[in-house]
Amino acid sequence: MASVPDEAATDAAIVVDAIRKRYGDRQAVDGVSLRVNRGEFFGLLGPNGAGKTTLVEIMEGLREADSGTVTVLGRSPWPRNVALLPRLGVQTQSSAFFVRQTAREHLRIVAALYGAGREDADRTLDSVGLTEQRDVMVENLSGGQRQRLAIASALVHGPELIFLDEPTAALDPQARRDLWKVLRELRSEGRTIVYTTHHLDEAEALCDRVAILVDGSVVALDSPHHLVTAAGAPTRLLIPAERMTERDAAAIPGVDRVFVQGGSLVLETAVSGKVLQAVDALTGLDGVQTRTATLEDVYLELTGTHSTTDTTGATGADGITSTDGTNGAENTERQG
Amino acid sequence: MSAYAALTGAGFRAQVRDKATLFFTFAFPLLFLVVFGLIFRGQEVEETGRPYISYIAPGVMSWGVANAAVFGVAFTLMQWRRDDLLRLIRMTPTRLPAVLASRYVLALAVGAVQAVVFVAVAMLPLFGLELDVRWPLALPVLVLGITAFLTIGVVIGSYADTPEAVAAIANFLMVPMAFLSGSFLPLDMMPSWLRTVSRVLPLRYLNDAVSAALSGRGGLDDIAIGCGGLLVFTVVFGALALRTFRWSNKA
Repeated sequence: MASVPDEAATDAAIVVDAIRKRYGDRQAVDGVSLRVNRGEFFGLLGPNGAGKTTLVEIMEGLREADSGTVTVLGRSPWPRNVALLPRLGVQTQSSAFFVRQTAREHLRIVAALYGAGREDADRTLDSVGLTEQRDVMVENLSGGQRQRLAIASALVHGPELIFLDEPTAALDPQARRDLWKVLRELRSEGRTIVYTTHHLDEAEALCDRVAILVDGSVVALDSPHHLVTAAGAPTRLLIPAERMTERDAAAIPGVDRVFVQGGSLVLETAVSGKVLQAVDALTGLDGVQTRTATLEDVYLELTGTHSTTDTTGATGADGITSTDGTNGAENTERQG
Repeated sequence: MSAYAALTGAGFRAQVRDKATLFFTFAFPLLFLVVFGLIFRGQEVEETGRPYISYIAPGVMSWGVANAAVFGVAFTLMQWRRDDLLRLIRMTPTRLPAVLASRYVLALAVGAVQAVVFVAVAMLPLFGLELDVRWPLALPVLVLGITAFLTIGVVIGSYADTPEAVAAIANFLMVPMAFLSGSFLPLDMMPSWLRTVSRVLPLRYLNDAVSAALSGRGGLDDIAIGCGGLLVFTVVFGALALRTFRWSNKA
């Protein structure tokens, strides 16, 4: 599904073509081609060790690919390209702070390294919600505050292309939503964001397109919506268990599978509208919940987590009994 | 504000806010001055008839200044790489010379303060150092010495990945070098082969030149040879430093 890069791609922020990178006998990136458009919010997903970090570091110009080409904002990021660097923003590790400085001093130093001004540092500190902590020593910031300061380091000079690496990992739910707001604002200003995350709900909520990387290769690349639709994962209707028997439920036309989970009767179907009508006619819709497939379902399917479930039958997960011995275990608790 | 000015300011604040390290940077050489100064108080070196203090004061001061230059930059580089701070700098358009120049200016400032404090204490009646009229020549010598030892520190800081490794390598070099270059004990007391061997050590050149300038033990030619030797070491280790420098611990 990887798009083929072409020379006329002036609207491309990043063009990666047939990139390979090997460490010893491990092929970290195995022929990745993809294109990130300008102004796009691009998610990079994949299990640990899938090659996300290596791929991003090659895009950032921190590593040289063994073969293939990378073009970032029309230029090659390798070797170190000081003309390109001010246009990129890279979230630093949460350890990368100048020692014995306050949050504000640190960000002002980073701003100066980029040739930006003090007022840029103060404005960015405010945008990530650290104005109150500006005079706190970096060593004394909490985990979430350190992470926000690291993100601020990527934004302080107003870059066109921003690389963020699991930016919400250490944030509490409120701070996470606040950051989403900041990121959406950046996107609305036309900036391009490349986003690595393990939070699939986040990728679904924020990203225009996501690439899913497995064992160094792109196994899927599309908008979250298309990926979910294309996967054809079933919709699940949750009905209070006392409302009908499994036998009756299984008899409804369009129901593919029925099992009991957490006090609910779960009906899997590809035609939820039709089944809902039938349920309505039988018992009414009070207390009935609908759960559509999420990006997480697609992700788990593609990254191979599903391989353990098809054979396990009714013992797949706690609280699940299955009427037809299939994959209840990969059911997720995420609200569609 | 330029990147260089920002980094220098950050280094200065980091230095003065770390009170313990700041104290010992200046107290450590003074400790050796006190120990050796009191042991050999009022004595003269048999072979030359010169007072011990005219050997010990310039020698310990040279070692102290060199030591601070090596440790300061080596620890900083190791720590910046370990904390991924060098990676951060690597991703900005700041060029490496601006980074190293800020460390250089900080090392010169530390060395200047060290030298002033040290000489002031050594001139107390208790120790009795008398300055030669050529003493201002010690300033360019110290600048060259700090430059040479800073390049050695960059090599160590690029090679070592942990604070323990920095301390081990730097001490392994600097402590024997102090004895073999005559910082703690006058070289005039040593066997002649050792005096010859010590010619391969950068501290020997710093000691000789600082001694000649501060206490008049040696002539202008000694100062010139010392400066020349330090320049050679700067070029050699500077080239080595540029080759070994790493932005990141990762391969």
